Amino acid sequence: MLEKIKSILSQIDADYADVRYEIKKETVIAFNGRELSQITSNSTDGYVVRALKDGGFASAVFTKPSDAERITKLVVENAKLIGKNKTKPVLLAKTEIIKDKFTPPLKEDPRQISIEEKLDITRKANNVCLKFDKIATTNIAYRETIREKSFVSSEGSEIQEDLITISLAGEIIAKDGTLVQNVRVATGGSDGFHTIRNPEAQFEERTKIAIDLLKAIPIKAGIYNCILNPSMAGVFTHEAFGHFSEADIIENLPAMREKMKLGSKLGSDILNIVDDPTIPHQLGFYKYDDEGVKARRTQLMKNGVLVGRLHSRRTAAEFSEPLSGHCVAEDYRFAPIVRMGTIFIEPADKTLEDLFALLGDGLYILDAKGGQTAGENFTFGAQYGYLVKNGKKSDMIRDINISGNLYKTLMGITAIGNDLVLTKRGGCGKGQINIRSCHGAPHIIAQGLVLGGI
Amino acid sequence: MEKLLEIAKKVCDQVEIYSLDNKQNVVSFENAKLHEIDTKFQSGVSIRIIKDGKLGFAYTRNLINREELLKNALNSLQGGVKAEYEFPLTKDLPKLNTYDASIETITTKQMVDECNRICEILKTTNGEVSATAYTYTETIRILNHQGTDVSNTSSHFGVYASISYPGTASGIGRVFSDKKFNPMPAHLIQEIVDYYKLSSQEISAKSGKMKVLFMPNVMYAINWRINSGTSGKSVYEKISPIAHKKGEQIFSEKITIYDDPRDDKYPGARSFDDEGVAADKFYVIENGVLRNFYYDLNYAQKMNTKPTGHGYRTAQWESDAISIKPSPSLSYMRYQTGNKSISQIIRSIDRGIIIEGALGAHSGNIPNGDLSIGANPALYVENGEILGQLKDVMVACNIYELLKNVIDVSDTLYYSYGGVMPAILFDNVSVATKG
Repeated sequence: MLEKIKSILSQIDADYADVRYEIKKETVIAFNGRELSQITSNSTDGYVVRALKDGGFASAVFTKPSDAERITKLVVENAKLIGKNKTKPVLLAKTEIIKDKFTPPLKEDPRQISIEEKLDITRKANNVCLKFDKIATTNIAYRETIREKSFVSSEGSEIQEDLITISLAGEIIAKDGTLVQNVRVATGGSDGFHTIRNPEAQFEERTKIAIDLLKAIPIKAGIYNCILNPSMAGVFTHEAFGHFSEADIIENLPAMREKMKLGSKLGSDILNIVDDPTIPHQLGFYKYDDEGVKARRTQLMKNGVLVGRLHSRRTAAEFSEPLSGHCVAEDYRFAPIVRMGTIFIEPADKTLEDLFALLGDGLYILDAKGGQTAGENFTFGAQYGYLVKNGKKSDMIRDINISGNLYKTLMGITAIGNDLVLTKRGGCGKGQINIRSCHGAPHIIAQGLVLGGI
Repeated sequence: MEKLLEIAKKVCDQVEIYSLDNKQNVVSFENAKLHEIDTKFQSGVSIRIIKDGKLGFAYTRNLINREELLKNALNSLQGGVKAEYEFPLTKDLPKLNTYDASIETITTKQMVDECNRICEILKTTNGEVSATAYTYTETIRILNHQGTDVSNTSSHFGVYASISYPGTASGIGRVFSDKKFNPMPAHLIQEIVDYYKLSSQEISAKSGKMKVLFMPNVMYAINWRINSGTSGKSVYEKISPIAHKKGEQIFSEKITIYDDPRDDKYPGARSFDDEGVAADKFYVIENGVLRNFYYDLNYAQKMNTKPTGHGYRTAQWESDAISIKPSPSLSYMRYQTGNKSISQIIRSIDRGIIIEGALGAHSGNIPNGDLSIGANPALYVENGEILGQLKDVMVACNIYELLKNVIDVSDTLYYSYGGVMPAILFDNVSVATKG
């Protein structure tokens, strides 16, 4: 394969160029309620080329090998056009030339498991949810995504890496009269098939939460002090801070870039945040990013002060900051962009009991339900929560959506627990989806969150 | 493709082949300067087969090995996914005006020049300016064993331009789209400038129930919930809160919602869905009365009703049509317009906010119709005047209540994400602020 893509690379008349070819293999087994709605295994492939020419940098994607000649010409023309319109030429930060073939060691390789066994595990997990009366339906799916990547650059790097991601996940929907409540369930990771074995206890626990939500109290809109559980605090870290650490987001927003200068104090004194795609066995693990840069641990915040940033080769040069190895694509349909790998709040010393005592009155909110960021503002939802009075958990609450602000909310983190948990399933959308987006945190206290209620 | 159909017909009861070819060129400007050019040429073929009431499904990028694609589809039959419907015989569809050949000759430089022109106007404010221009052409063809052979080629040109309040990356943006290159109309560019200038000052206001104007580009947050409630899939799964309300008044009589796939004034019109079923104008809500649920082949059969031409290969977080099985979707949503312009509507607001952007529309309880979004930005209005923007605002409601409290629907429609949308003013909506 490398020879084939090297021959495409050799057609590109540029100052720098790279070509990535990927074969993507997907297996999906999906249930809607009792019905099996999909069971498929397929393979697709395609190419991504990038070229730096006369100070401009452009990318192009194609799937038909016969388009190679046309595309390689076009990408160089586009790079030149960008160069002509730039006052400052695009530079790429220097990186080590790497020749490597990396296949992650899996504890149990999903490719060796029969489709029948995968179907059986998915059906059993789904059936656990459906045995309860109040469950209207489910959407539960097994997904296996294998990216076999080959990357060559005009600088001489030749890298092959496989990324094997699986999940058993979905939604459980409970109904009483016209009231519908849903919770999410997810397990899996990048470490092998064993991550989804014996999921029944987890699926039963989630189903019971969906049923309990039918009796929960809708939360009133207002401002609350909250304990966030690790799932919730992880999304909070990803949305409230992580996206602003992606250099391409703030690159061309001068006022924001000024506020996000390294050395700026954005969080409370106790807050330390790291992104580390090199932690083995975690969902967010990879060895090289999609421009051939070795992934590395990056300290982003230390004692509330911004100390690092996530970069591509282009943004590292633009900011004159070190490379981090965070330029990642969804698959062969996309040029890579700056992405979080495994972002988390470093644990401190508080137990959950300590946090309840410190909170006094407020809310305990659990399990993220998606979030979104635009500039300094973000929102994210929680699947459920509890009122907390005098440090004691009381009634269950629902309809929890939080709005926050980069420059204010991180200052409101007043206590951090000792129980770090990382997520097992990703799915961050930034024009393209990153199914390996991994985040985590211990329990934390965040003060003064705006909740929407319904 | 014909050859694939022939070999598949020999071993299956029913066969459908779906093919897609597209080309896309995107030019993006950040901080009023050319930033990126991204080009994509993509194609793919997807096959669905039915044998003994079971479905097989497979796809590929390059139809080099027909036997292997068919083998993948035959293998997936063994899972036992039930398919008791029939692929349709569709013919004599009207010819729509969806393709303008001039799209092929638009140069990247022309797109760069257009973005430059727009940025120069937007730069007259103190905000941070961005613009994106794109061209997109797509050919879809569907063949099946009944003899259906339908295809459509469409051309798209579009621009999105915005001004952000410095330091926030939040601001005012507008979309323009056509079947061929046309400059973004002056009035749309002026709207961005005007709303930006009126709202650039940061102010505070108290929480409470107030009037809320959903601008066309945030209507999708409401539409996702309507899509869920009126889908044949939700009715079948018994999770639609309005499953038993057909013929009843569920919304204000000012609300009429229909799907209009053949409306070829806008790019991307179609006379058939992604299953080859004829698609035509279809009323979902008429003067507030729930008229119809919409179906694809699968859910129509399950509910013992006729397919309505709404089987599309779309999914919320996926974009690769060849890999997605059809499911019911309202892909060409329209609202009937009202009598007042957006500025007249704003002048009628005693106290309220205008939502120019929504955050977190996907994270509420969509089947139940709950909506809890960050208004980003929220423009605050008192006595008909925009006073500035509010920060950290959450708007929360249930759309089945919200759409009963309609004050006005605007008299113009905007090409927006998920359809062609008006702005709608609602009464008595819960707004949480830090003020």
